[in-house]
Amino acid sequence: MKTMILIRLRNTVVLLLLATLLCFTLVVSAPGNVAVLIAELRSPKSTFEQIRAVEEELGLNDPIIVRYGNWLTGAMRGDLGISYKTGESIGPALASRLHVTAILVAGGACIAMLLSFALGFVGALWPGRASDVATRVIALLGASMPSFFVGALLIYGLAVELRLLPTFGDAGLTSWVMPWMTIGLLPAAVLSRVVRVGLEEAMARPFALTASAKGLSRAQTLFKHALPNIAPSYINALGAQGGAMVVGAVVVEPLFALKGVADLFLQGVLFRDFMVVQACLLIFLTSFIVLNLLVDIGMMFTDPKLRRQGANA
Amino acid sequence: MRALQDFIGRVRELPRASIVAIGLFVVLGVLAPYIAPHDPNAQDLLSAHTGMSWEHWLGADHLGRDTLSRLIVSARTSLVGMCLVLMIALSVGVTIGTIAGYKRGWVEEVLMRLVDVGLSMPSLIVALAVIGIFGTGYWNMILALALAWWPGSARISRAVAVGIMNRPHVEALRVLGASPSRIYFRHLLPGTIGAVLVYATADAGAVALSIATLSFLGLGIQPPTPEWGQMLVDALPYLESVPMQVILPGLVLTGVVIGFNLLGESIALNRVPAPLARRVLKARRLAAAGWGKVGR
Repeated sequence: MKTMILIRLRNTVVLLLLATLLCFTLVVSAPGNVAVLIAELRSPKSTFEQIRAVEEELGLNDPIIVRYGNWLTGAMRGDLGISYKTGESIGPALASRLHVTAILVAGGACIAMLLSFALGFVGALWPGRASDVATRVIALLGASMPSFFVGALLIYGLAVELRLLPTFGDAGLTSWVMPWMTIGLLPAAVLSRVVRVGLEEAMARPFALTASAKGLSRAQTLFKHALPNIAPSYINALGAQGGAMVVGAVVVEPLFALKGVADLFLQGVLFRDFMVVQACLLIFLTSFIVLNLLVDIGMMFTDPKLRRQGANA
Repeated sequence: MRALQDFIGRVRELPRASIVAIGLFVVLGVLAPYIAPHDPNAQDLLSAHTGMSWEHWLGADHLGRDTLSRLIVSARTSLVGMCLVLMIALSVGVTIGTIAGYKRGWVEEVLMRLVDVGLSMPSLIVALAVIGIFGTGYWNMILALALAWWPGSARISRAVAVGIMNRPHVEALRVLGASPSRIYFRHLLPGTIGAVLVYATADAGAVALSIATLSFLGLGIQPPTPEWGQMLVDALPYLESVPMQVILPGLVLTGVVIGFNLLGESIALNRVPAPLARRVLKARRLAAAGWGKVGR
């Protein structure tokens, strides 16, 4: 078990290094001269000497490996360079926005989990053609609808027609409900199918028959015996959908005027502010890699087969 | 004639809903300029935000442009973009996948680790980062999406190529003295392309979604070219007064993607070698949302 986790951790470190390498090469390969951009930011009419000074200051004349090393050590200390557009340093700007995206994704994940279990259990409690078709249709919609369309429909239904919720701005908890739903509904639809199919498969296994022979009701069998069995596949799917939700923030944040990391990323992309793009990309890739690590460890804890493999290894 | 009958027979086995949706999409996309009742960019401010009428069947947007025509022409924008992205992604993916499947050994190791890294990143984030570095524009969008999509096709083509290389007739060819280039170009490549094309159709829906999302964010198709995601974001400020203009493009886009997703599922279920199908199906179920392949 311990060795397996250590192996995963080592792989994660390698992946993280690859991710930093990717972020770095992306910016190095960017067209245009960075020094000119920064020099012009400082004084509109920059001389050749000023540009040389900026080059010196940013270390653009160093060998590329030295530049990568400097950038990496800086990034580890939270120094992600300065924005070419505003001239402000990116680290603090990112730090002040991280919590917005974190709240958004965490709330969305809660909605996705609650809804998917509710829908999946309803389907498994009353099996039959109708409920099967229903979960299938919901899952298909979840995989096919664009998230910005879901957001627009929610705004129209809940804010415009029913006037229940504010569309944007900060009005406490109520202003978070729609962003959470926009980000969580589609993953919930897909996950509900995972729950439904997993429970169905577990109920067809001999232990479910034993449980009902002992006199447990269908609901009791589902909760006590079938539920633990779907944990590994559910965690796996949740990891994939969690990644999708982080990506969904890119759509949801501009839609609801939230000032999070994804919003900063989009602005960086729009203005070709390389350093901001690089910093946000690094944050995103790190979160995906860490998410995958957590999923792997979670599956190890919930799947006895994987656990036994770990004991032998 | 035989080939046509064969083709029709195969199409009949697919789910009807997906044939209708995809067929409509392709026909509209190909014939768009001929069947659109109005010029999609002709502005008529007097009829701005009018509802359904004989003149404008589905109403008009905030500049008085005919919504039905814009929806139809968007199908072409989407279809062309999708085909370009898939074509570029497939050429790169099949080349790398077949080389890995043919050479095996350390070449395969290196190429497939590269593919793994590519697959571990969500395609939309990759595409956004590439656009952020190289700027917005039609071709930059196409290339960015292709860059995000090649690892998937590379992995599938490697699996198919390994399967072909393990068949007895390839061994027989070797014994008979066929040159490597003959084996690669006459036997390996055509077989792989055929199989991978089938998978590509399943991915097409996710590509269409990405194009629409990028356009929604203002980073993909640029105005005045009509595109569904862009139509939706254009109409969003007027959501309160004319919700139809927001809902229509969203519905059409959803319909097209549903068609492709149904097709993808039926392909994964029936039409491919069993072990591969199981993996593809599992992967599709796990990562079926929005952006196709996230994480694993």
